[in-house]
Amino acid sequence: MSLKNFVAPFYVWKRAFEKPLTNTKPLETRPGAAAYRGFHVNDIEKCIGCGSCEEICQNMSIDLVPVDGIETKDGDSGLRPRIDYGRCCWCALCIDICPTGSLNMTNEYTWLEEGDGDVDDKFIFTPGVDKKNWNNLELGYKRPVDYEILEYSKIKMTIMETAERSDSFIEMVKGYSKEEAEREADRCVACGICVATCPANMDIPEYIKAIREDDLNEAVRLLYKTNPFSNSCGRICTHRCEDACVLEHRGESISIRWLKRYIMDNVSSEEIKSSLADEFTKNGKKIAIIGAGPGGLSAAYYLAKLGYSVTVFEAKEKAGGMLRYGIPEYRLPYDELDKDINYILSLGVKIEYNIRIGKDKDFDDLYKHFDSIFFSIGLSKPYSMRVEGETLPGVISGLKFLDDVTMGIDPKIGKSVAVVGGGNVAMDAARTSKRFGADVTVVYRRRLEDMPADLEEIVEAQEENVEFVVKAIPTKIVENKGKLYFSWNNAKMVEQKDGGRPKPVAIEGDITTRTFDTIISAIGQAGDFSFLPKEIEEKLKFKWGKVITDKSRQTADSKIFAGGDVVNATADAISAIEDGHKAAIGIDRALRKI
Amino acid sequence: MKTILNSVKNIEQIFGVLAKKIQRPDLIFITVEKKQVLSVLSHLRDIEEYTHLVMITAIDYLEQGKFQILYLLHNYKNNTDLGVKTFISREDAHMYSAHHLWGQVATYQRELHEMFGIDFPGSPRVNENFALEGWEGIPPMRRDFDTLRYSQETYNFRKGRATNDPKKYMKKNLHKE
Repeated sequence: MSLKNFVAPFYVWKRAFEKPLTNTKPLETRPGAAAYRGFHVNDIEKCIGCGSCEEICQNMSIDLVPVDGIETKDGDSGLRPRIDYGRCCWCALCIDICPTGSLNMTNEYTWLEEGDGDVDDKFIFTPGVDKKNWNNLELGYKRPVDYEILEYSKIKMTIMETAERSDSFIEMVKGYSKEEAEREADRCVACGICVATCPANMDIPEYIKAIREDDLNEAVRLLYKTNPFSNSCGRICTHRCEDACVLEHRGESISIRWLKRYIMDNVSSEEIKSSLADEFTKNGKKIAIIGAGPGGLSAAYYLAKLGYSVTVFEAKEKAGGMLRYGIPEYRLPYDELDKDINYILSLGVKIEYNIRIGKDKDFDDLYKHFDSIFFSIGLSKPYSMRVEGETLPGVISGLKFLDDVTMGIDPKIGKSVAVVGGGNVAMDAARTSKRFGADVTVVYRRRLEDMPADLEEIVEAQEENVEFVVKAIPTKIVENKGKLYFSWNNAKMVEQKDGGRPKPVAIEGDITTRTFDTIISAIGQAGDFSFLPKEIEEKLKFKWGKVITDKSRQTADSKIFAGGDVVNATADAISAIEDGHKAAIGIDRALRKI
Repeated sequence: MKTILNSVKNIEQIFGVLAKKIQRPDLIFITVEKKQVLSVLSHLRDIEEYTHLVMITAIDYLEQGKFQILYLLHNYKNNTDLGVKTFISREDAHMYSAHHLWGQVATYQRELHEMFGIDFPGSPRVNENFALEGWEGIPPMRRDFDTLRYSQETYNFRKGRATNDPKKYMKKNLHKE
């Protein structure tokens, strides 16, 4: 071994005092790229727990779980997505599909956690709920602006042009074709959030699926499970389900009502019969129903299916209640309503027409001869406007007017009509008057946005050139040479201190008077319980003019059940149908003592 | 200075172009026949100054029984990108190797071989593992690869997994019975 070999290692020591040739590696971690697909964040206020993320996940890494402090309510399941990071592959399809846009990714990509026996459970977390240090990061993958997996625009419905429909009672909405209905049905993510909002809890995602699969017989079976008036509801339902639709958050909801109509438009009465194949054996018990409206006939349908003999007593000459006598023909043609009614009658339900209980027949009589009674009589007593001149000829109620038109009586309204009120009856009266060739003015005490009528009815009335006078409080009506001089006090809206809705307050001296041929008052109506014998009326419980029932629609008298507008607060067809269904189940349970 | 439009015009005249899409003024995609690809790439690199190969990738057109291969080139002189696309059969998935034109091509081709099962005969180390050591079964980027089935067979569910269906959950909590 030479001396050089021995000494050489020590030469490197001289390098110890020189500047190093390498760079120091920075110790801070590198941030992910701006659109990096890192850890998830969820805006839990925006998220409604529809489960689209879970559905699209390719690896089954997402669960929907209840979260403390988030309530299940209309339009929100109360569930939130929880992700298993042992399975997630960061494909970001969950972000791309998220209909509310609440779920996103950050550019954070390191997550170190001390291991213990439970370490498996740490990498399963609920974004936005569990505290994570990336929760407030701005950067990270977001759905590109112009990229959508879902279709957010409705398939357009063909509606008769304004000019054509203003003087016509022909149905104005044309209905979807097969191709249109299937495309509309295709937009549905089948989350089922809408089901809870529907008063009848109809199985909406399932019947939409049946449309997609072109199995209309199955669709009819699904509809009739909860609603024997689907043909009518497919036209006039208040469709609150559509307000709850998940697509409404970033676009337009599914046209659930029109899809229901599509099903019913495309099955004949014979097909309804063969699809449902309702079979039952009579159990010998008899039920009386008062009122052949949607509530009464819905109860009749489900009772008949349970084997009961059902007799319906109807004061008018035809069945359908408000669906026939309240809703104008251009929204619900009579033969379409009859299609629903005829199927119910085909099960052996009897209707005695022109029998007004309390007048043509005593309530006690029914009470004695039937095992149970269900009444769903609707609201037939118009509220008074409480103004001078209200009883003059030419001043009529909206209900009476719509009634006359249905019965083919010429209402003789003249050339100019004022309609007082802002509900659906007011809109129907205004638009019907328009179709009789009158100039129509709606007079309402609050603002347009306060009107209880469905938005589409207001919009369609405006399209048909109905004039709206708002913030107007009627004061008096004076008759002079066949003309009605109608005065109202203009008002301003005053905010309420207790947070209640703003109130119209008359501006002193600011009076407008205009002349009309006819004034239609449609400011609401109450139930007429004069058919009940005194002792029954005293026994039943009432609140705000409505009958109080339990969940099975049983009243304080165990033999009497009630439903429809005289019971529920929503006072629409679908709620009445649900009441009828629930009452049928309730009556069956009460009579079988289970 | 050469423009991207001129370059595309030259390719059209010399080699023929099946389809052309002007995505942006500085980004054009052309589709050429499989047997013209190597000539087109050479021409673009040596004559049209598209000297940089940005990447090579493939797309699975399962329904049409085809793979599309895309070569993305960049021209530093006029700062434009040109994408050269071609279709190959999915059943007999092979493509002529371009490893002699750019050093990194061999790596891209090795990746495509692994991810899509497209062969590039003659490409160096093309049969070696790239990222998926010990992979069995169909290549994962093919669209008939069943992601869910693979993850079911390969990964466990973490402890405590359980889910709820929104419709049923809301029925339990909200419906008026």
